Amino acid sequence: MEEFKIDIKKVVFHKEGDTGDFINYDVEKCDGCGMCVKVCSAGLWSLKDGKARLAPRYGELCLECAACWEICVPEAIDFSYPASGSGVTIKYG
Amino acid sequence: MEKWDVVIVGGGPGGSYAAKTAAEKGLKAVFFERGDRPGEKNSSGAGLGTRWWRDFPEIMSKLPELPSYRKADMIVIKVVDEENRVRLVHGTTGSDRDGSRWSNSLDKGMAGAAIYRLDLDPLIADMAIQAGAELRTSTLISDVIIDNGIVTGVKTEKGESIAAEVVIAADGGMSTMARKAGMRNRWGGGCTLVPQLDFGCDGDKLDAVAGNAEWCWFGPFNGAYQMHFAESFHLGAGKWLRPDWDTKPTEVLERVMEIPAFRKFCKVVDAQMREYQAHFLPWLKKPVKSYTGGMMLVGDAGGFPCPLDGEGIWHACMSGRIAAETAAWAISRGDVSERALAEYERRWKASPLGLEHQYGAEFVELWDHSIFDPELMKGLIQLLLEFSEIHPFSILFDWSDDHVGCLNQHIEHLFDMMPEFSDFASKYMSPLGNTISPRVVKRALLQAKPKVPLFKFLPDDLYLKLLARMNSRIRSWLETV
Repeated sequence: MEEFKIDIKKVVFHKEGDTGDFINYDVEKCDGCGMCVKVCSAGLWSLKDGKARLAPRYGELCLECAACWEICVPEAIDFSYPASGSGVTIKYG
Repeated sequence: MEKWDVVIVGGGPGGSYAAKTAAEKGLKAVFFERGDRPGEKNSSGAGLGTRWWRDFPEIMSKLPELPSYRKADMIVIKVVDEENRVRLVHGTTGSDRDGSRWSNSLDKGMAGAAIYRLDLDPLIADMAIQAGAELRTSTLISDVIIDNGIVTGVKTEKGESIAAEVVIAADGGMSTMARKAGMRNRWGGGCTLVPQLDFGCDGDKLDAVAGNAEWCWFGPFNGAYQMHFAESFHLGAGKWLRPDWDTKPTEVLERVMEIPAFRKFCKVVDAQMREYQAHFLPWLKKPVKSYTGGMMLVGDAGGFPCPLDGEGIWHACMSGRIAAETAAWAISRGDVSERALAEYERRWKASPLGLEHQYGAEFVELWDHSIFDPELMKGLIQLLLEFSEIHPFSILFDWSDDHVGCLNQHIEHLFDMMPEFSDFASKYMSPLGNTISPRVVKRALLQAKPKVPLFKFLPDDLYLKLLARMNSRIRSWLETV
């Protein structure tokens, strides 16, 4: 049933404007566990050659939930907030 | 350098309420919001319970004017079996005795309100502005200024420094302020992710189908909530962020959306999926250390959400109010050191906020089991269904055989279930017994006394002493009365 499919690109809203780099990822600390890939609603993380990779244009889809930061045991992922007035915007909630 | 009595980081309910309280106390207060307006960066529609009328009547009187408002007088629980059939519907109902059940004497019974944060947050922020606080939107605070181990101000993202006697950090679960002040890094456990879908729908049809009730879905997949607003609803389900996470965030929502009864509900109310939101929610057994020199943490930043159901907005407003009052007290004494601000923790622990967290472990463990222990959910659902079958009316109206035979079968079935039920109850339910207050236990024991042979002739105090000698739990309860 089409109406019950979650198409992230259609149901998440972002403002115009540069978010800046607000997820800092240290590849040296990454142990390749892949937890960030599992918890990300927007599919921004992937696993390649035993290391996590963050989509280069993550600011356009990131929901700012910080799940990747909290789940990362080796603390390879650092999350701060996107630049003032940028990033995700909630329309209904 | 710009200088304020109190700088508050965050324009959500906790930050705004702190700003309002600080301004009312005569302090020069400013609060910063990273979004273009308060409410924009949240992703949690609010369910506000009865205690809101006691603690924040000025907010509750304004709510009905807001566009997303819907009354929420009951919770309807829908239990689904493995084949997606709704097997049990149970509602918490208001009763004539609710007035006496609620110690706050509000005569409201089981009552609440559902409201979008896009409506609620600007309302509280406006109250803070009316009280004299200054709001700066589209301003991200990215660092703290520390002087001799005491937080003395903050820095905006653009590098501007702002000095403060006291900083109140209300910047959410991933609090930049707490991290920059060296209070913690990531939480390292006890936090959840709450994915949530918003559906727009026909408000009149929703009135007819759901009325003033919130719904919860329970099944082998675990649980999900369905919050109803004026012309929309949210479907959401939390999950612990832990190394044993084995699925995708949207799994439970997708699972609920397969239930035919949910799909029919959507069809009847003309539901349209509009938005997906993901919310980070600390769900701790107890809050973290909530103060350091010159700074206090409120709301999600301090880990205050309810250990039973994850509600966080009342907790944010309560902690925001107590933090601002503590700031006024500390500033008037000229001491904002860590030692002085320990007063904040003393004060929130003595408030209803502290009582809720006193038994945080018992509450979190019950919920924790239900999320991660499929055995619990299967056991719970099975038992609920079995016991609903033995509901007095079902015994009478079971026409599968002669009524006497059916009645006896039902009772025997109940006895068959007892060992399983007792294992289940002692493992998952009895820890909640710790939360029953000694005053209530004493009253129950005294009320039972006239019915207990031999004991009924004893004086009250001797009777209680004997019971205490016989049972260690009763003893520990009575000792605290």
